[in-house]
Amino acid sequence: MDSSIIVTTFDTATDSALGWISDHGGALFDLISAVLEGFYGALLWGLSQPPDYVLALLVALLGWRLIGVRFALLAAAALLFCAVMGLWPETMSTLALVISATILALLVALPTGVVAGYLPRLDAAIGPALDLVQTLPPYIYLLPAIALLGYGPATALAATVIVAMPPAIRLTALGIRMTPPEYIELGHACGITPLQMFFKVRLPFAVPSIMAGINQSLMMAFGMVVIAGIVGSGGLGATIYDSIRTLDIAKSIDAAIAIVVLTMVLDRLTQSASRARREDNP
Amino acid sequence: MAQNETAEVLIDCQSLWKIFGDRSGAAMAAVAERGLTKTQVLQEFDCVVGVAAANLQVRRGEIFCIMGLSGSGKSTLIRMLNRLIAPSAGRVLVKDRDLAALSATELRQMRARHIGMVFQSVALLPHRTVLENAAFGLEVQGLPKPERLRTAEAALRKVGLGDWMQRYPSELSGGMQQRVGLARAIAADPEIILMDEPFSALDPLIRRQLQDEFRQLTKDLGKSAVFITHDLEEAIRIGDRIAIMKDGAIIQVGTAEEIVLDPADGYVADFVAGISRLHLVKAHSVMVPVADFLKSFPGRDIAGLLTTGPEADIDALIGLTMHSDDGAIAVVADGSVVGVVTTRNLLLGVKGTPAVAPDTGIARRA
Repeated sequence: MDSSIIVTTFDTATDSALGWISDHGGALFDLISAVLEGFYGALLWGLSQPPDYVLALLVALLGWRLIGVRFALLAAAALLFCAVMGLWPETMSTLALVISATILALLVALPTGVVAGYLPRLDAAIGPALDLVQTLPPYIYLLPAIALLGYGPATALAATVIVAMPPAIRLTALGIRMTPPEYIELGHACGITPLQMFFKVRLPFAVPSIMAGINQSLMMAFGMVVIAGIVGSGGLGATIYDSIRTLDIAKSIDAAIAIVVLTMVLDRLTQSASRARREDNP
Repeated sequence: MAQNETAEVLIDCQSLWKIFGDRSGAAMAAVAERGLTKTQVLQEFDCVVGVAAANLQVRRGEIFCIMGLSGSGKSTLIRMLNRLIAPSAGRVLVKDRDLAALSATELRQMRARHIGMVFQSVALLPHRTVLENAAFGLEVQGLPKPERLRTAEAALRKVGLGDWMQRYPSELSGGMQQRVGLARAIAADPEIILMDEPFSALDPLIRRQLQDEFRQLTKDLGKSAVFITHDLEEAIRIGDRIAIMKDGAIIQVGTAEEIVLDPADGYVADFVAGISRLHLVKAHSVMVPVADFLKSFPGRDIAGLLTTGPEADIDALIGLTMHSDDGAIAVVADGSVVGVVTTRNLLLGVKGTPAVAPDTGIARRA
């Protein structure tokens, strides 16, 4: 009995806190929502301008430069297949969502990771928080996001940003911390300043780890696509969510194929970007 | 070495200590008050004595070798010379300035302009070309790009890597990488170069070659160097003076000849036992005075002997002895005969024992 009172009190307190925040912070959350939607909207507008074959060609060119002819042809064919399935607008909307969420996540994660790499104490403090974010079911982020930001792409974006941040923070901090000690010593022996130490010694050694973090964040963002469909993100997530409700299995598989295509193309491209850098300068 | 004793002291270490551990401060105080031994410090404070009461002076133009086995504290000592490690007690004066009294900026300038360093691990930045690596120190100093690349290019030519400037470190052999490390250190034109076991990881042939080149280059450029090694032969080949370290303390400082002929204790004696005397021991150390010689061989004609100078080494003396009829060589300094080297003296010299009067067999300490 006592315990149920405690739980009820906690739940009531949480509800009223959330209510208070959305009542008093309305202007703030409207602003956040507007910024998120504006960013996403701009990216989507840009991606929707060129016809499907132009974008497929651009991806093929990039893939050819970074990876090779075989990947370029496959990637272009796979993207055009999405268009043939009649899912091009949804694919672009999902791409815009994933890229904008990753960029926003990186804006926070990269500086945080750098600072955490320098301060072991901050790193130790952030660790459990990141563990929490990564182990909680992603659905959890949807509810407060809906309460504060409303139904729509902004909510999907906010939830995706939160999920996408941890890998980039962790791997950036790791990269900055793992500079081989002999190079730190070399820097000091040459009379290096702290700023030079970061840009000329620590950062170059951290680049592969940071690129791996960016890649991982991107993959986490993709993992949220379907979930985000529930709160009105639009795109392939919404297509899958709708077809599940109407038991339109064929369509949900089409959309799933389009997600796999996008994921694989972006995964290979970002992975090779970090590898290419290392091969250019062994 | 006579000119060295008057040359300016560039590095002056005054009773330098380094104690590692969480309670190093308390341990240092206890050492100062009660004079604890290394073992006592470890037992009482759980601290390790890295360097204990080290005194040394490095003069302009001198190559000073610090020889010791691993764990003897030599790497710690050299890092206190540019304050990569801060001493627990004692002072380091570089060009008469106390490193501990410098501000962060002054210390950076001191390191950038006056003290170069070469590491055993070389530490070439893998994402930069050889030329960019050699220019690293100048880049840190903020020199404009064309100027620093020009200076680095000249430094690379001095170490014989003029054709490799656009390569990446991974394309170079270990010996070449270490040359880049040396070029990086001399590009900034410091007076002092600290060498932390630079050649230890190289194979013997390349190593000897680099040792000779390093000595030549340092002398040509008029630099001073502190050279760390665990190899006594290397120390003898390179160093004008050698300090021998054991358990954090310097147990003997002297020229190679002084150390080989007159080791301070059994530890040093064991080290020098296997060292070839051929080029180390000089005529003035093995000769006997003319009077002693005449006592043993009355009536011998000193003027008829083959002659040599006091700095001739055993190798040269053996060559001369082969050509002499009676096995005795006169040592001439400033136009007069100062001593005589007999075959017996020569053999004792090869063995490492100082000169013995031909008849008495009593050692005569130089």
